[in-house]
Amino acid sequence: MSIYLDHAAATPLDPTVLAAMQPYFSEQFYNPSSPYAPAVAVRRAYDDAKSRIASVIGAQAGEVTMTAGATESINLAFATRTGHVVVTTIEHQAVLAAAQRQDHTLVEVDQHGRVNPESIRSAIRPDTWLVSVGLANSEIGTVQPLGKIAEIIRQERDKRLEEGNDTPLYLHSDASQGVGQLDVNAARLGVDMLTLNAAKIYGPKQVGLLYAARAVQLQPQIVGGGQEQGRRSGTENVAGVIGMAAALEQAESSRKAEAYRLAGLRDRLQARLVTEFPDVVVSGHHKHRLAGHLHISFPHLDAERLVFALEMQDVLVATGSACAANKGTRSHVLNAIGLEPHVADGSLRLSLGKLTDEEAIEAAGTRIIAAVQQEIARIGA
Amino acid sequence: MTKVYVGMSGGVDSSLTAALLKEQGYDVTGVYMKNWTQDLPGLKCPWADDLADAKRVAVQLGIDFKVFDFEKEYKHKVVDYMIEEYKLGRTPNPDIMCNQEVKFRLFLDAALEDGADMIATGHYARVENGVLKTAVDTNKDQTYFLYRVTGEALQKTLFPLGEFTKPQVREMAKERGLYTAGKKDSQGICFVGQIGIRDFLSQYVERTPGAIIDKQTGEKVGAHDGAIFYTLGQRHGLDVGGGLPYYVVGKDVDKNEVYVSRDLQDKALWRQEILLSSIHWINDTPVGGTYQIRVRHRAPLVSATLTGDTLTLEEPQRAITAGQSVVIYADGVCLGGGIVS
Repeated sequence: MSIYLDHAAATPLDPTVLAAMQPYFSEQFYNPSSPYAPAVAVRRAYDDAKSRIASVIGAQAGEVTMTAGATESINLAFATRTGHVVVTTIEHQAVLAAAQRQDHTLVEVDQHGRVNPESIRSAIRPDTWLVSVGLANSEIGTVQPLGKIAEIIRQERDKRLEEGNDTPLYLHSDASQGVGQLDVNAARLGVDMLTLNAAKIYGPKQVGLLYAARAVQLQPQIVGGGQEQGRRSGTENVAGVIGMAAALEQAESSRKAEAYRLAGLRDRLQARLVTEFPDVVVSGHHKHRLAGHLHISFPHLDAERLVFALEMQDVLVATGSACAANKGTRSHVLNAIGLEPHVADGSLRLSLGKLTDEEAIEAAGTRIIAAVQQEIARIGA
Repeated sequence: MTKVYVGMSGGVDSSLTAALLKEQGYDVTGVYMKNWTQDLPGLKCPWADDLADAKRVAVQLGIDFKVFDFEKEYKHKVVDYMIEEYKLGRTPNPDIMCNQEVKFRLFLDAALEDGADMIATGHYARVENGVLKTAVDTNKDQTYFLYRVTGEALQKTLFPLGEFTKPQVREMAKERGLYTAGKKDSQGICFVGQIGIRDFLSQYVERTPGAIIDKQTGEKVGAHDGAIFYTLGQRHGLDVGGGLPYYVVGKDVDKNEVYVSRDLQDKALWRQEILLSSIHWINDTPVGGTYQIRVRHRAPLVSATLTGDTLTLEEPQRAITAGQSVVIYADGVCLGGGIVS
């Protein structure tokens, strides 16, 4: 079996999650809106799953809208109003694309990918209604100082109250990459809106949610039968939401131990690679970084060649930057943190997870070293 | 060490080409020619996957790999030419144009410029001192597509697959564990293989309804959506009902009319004399006389006498269409050819 080091892209469905979902594909197939008892039981199971999800993120079930994944959640959040929005330069494409549909300010990050909360404050204008900052970056794993940003938002709101500016100001965070490694309690994070995704936590793909505090008036983007309190129509994805509830509960209960375990393995791999190749560049904040994330650049090498060489050795990793098919469009994240092209082009993103154990990390390290040495020998660098 | 740039398309043929040359001791660089990237109706252009496959094989072989971008030139020299020819009511061959203009001109020049001594492709053909010879695998022989290449270009070209049959090539690719060993062949014209020329052309040419007319009776027997989409001898895709099949025996692009017949022996379908234009000889101009000719890829070789620009066939041939290429051979050597006027 191959060594999978791309948990940031996709995770396998956990067997217990699958088992929880299974009945709702077949015997419990009823439409939750139907009036008879078996359907009512499905409705109850669905509502129960949503309550459990809400409880993990410190919200009320009525504040949670289930969606078909993080991209939809982000689109829904950004459709709340139009006006001016503030986002960072290293947000996920979904956030950047949604921001581009209205007046927006891109706030820069430092070379570790961290945004200075004061830069957010300076970017806020009287007509700004939304600040959106991802909890953790999917490419380099940097975790943002969301608490400090939330504090600034509160101060700005107070200022508006005094000034009689009645434009609301909300904080949204896409926390898809942080779940299972970071605290995603909406109340503790201090966010007004929060996007989560089941696919990154051993749950099903195409299932996500948008938490929105009661004050936020979401504008439905998918209209119809009025499901999800009218915020997102369409027959409920019962199995998917039950799967997400199970996955989220598991992620939360194993979070601290798993983060500790993954950080240990990641640090070992990092140390080994840095010792072997002293000129590598490790990106992301050394301290505020996702435990399972290692973004590492081999200057002058072609990352895509490394990916293919490792694929032949049964090690599956992501390029941290462009591939030959879209040359010239390097990762906006690596541009934002100021990585030079010859460094960025040699970047691998290694993301560890449940499937990663000591043996896997040792074997992966050996094979990565061999692949890199081979490439260095080929180009005579 | 001789430096060879191999055009790698991500298919099994060019993959093995690179592998064989490396084994023969050449300094090999793989090059993916980025010619076409647009999706077509109902068909995703597979270029990015093909490029990735080509690169995978390059990594497997431990050779350098580059991407040459000829997208603009390909559109201009091959696609636009093809569309223009169709608009004139002719049936051009874009593969021949691609070899003439892109692979054995642009690619060759760019490779030499980049430091290569020679180029190579996965064509089934053989070359000796700039002389183009048919492949050992007569069923796969691709010299028909190569007749407009120059002798000078061929002096700098290697076709290692010309010595092998397609099944041998597959087997050798498998033996070497090449990533693309089991990959399906792309068929026909690279970018229109799967959707058909009509759907491709209709991206660029407006569909104009017109009549399909029975040549014998002069009666309208059906309708078409543009005479340019039809080619001589065509039987399928005619929107006419029942009975014996109709064949296209002519068309008038100005009147937008297509003429059909049920008579396979219809004189318009058969020709014995062909006037060639745009004649190209790979090396020296032949003195004239009797040669073997081929009127389309994989068509059997037939005897013909060349007098000036005119070929006289020993036996009449069916469906020889304006715009199509006639390729001339002598004893397994591809001399060149011309385009049917």
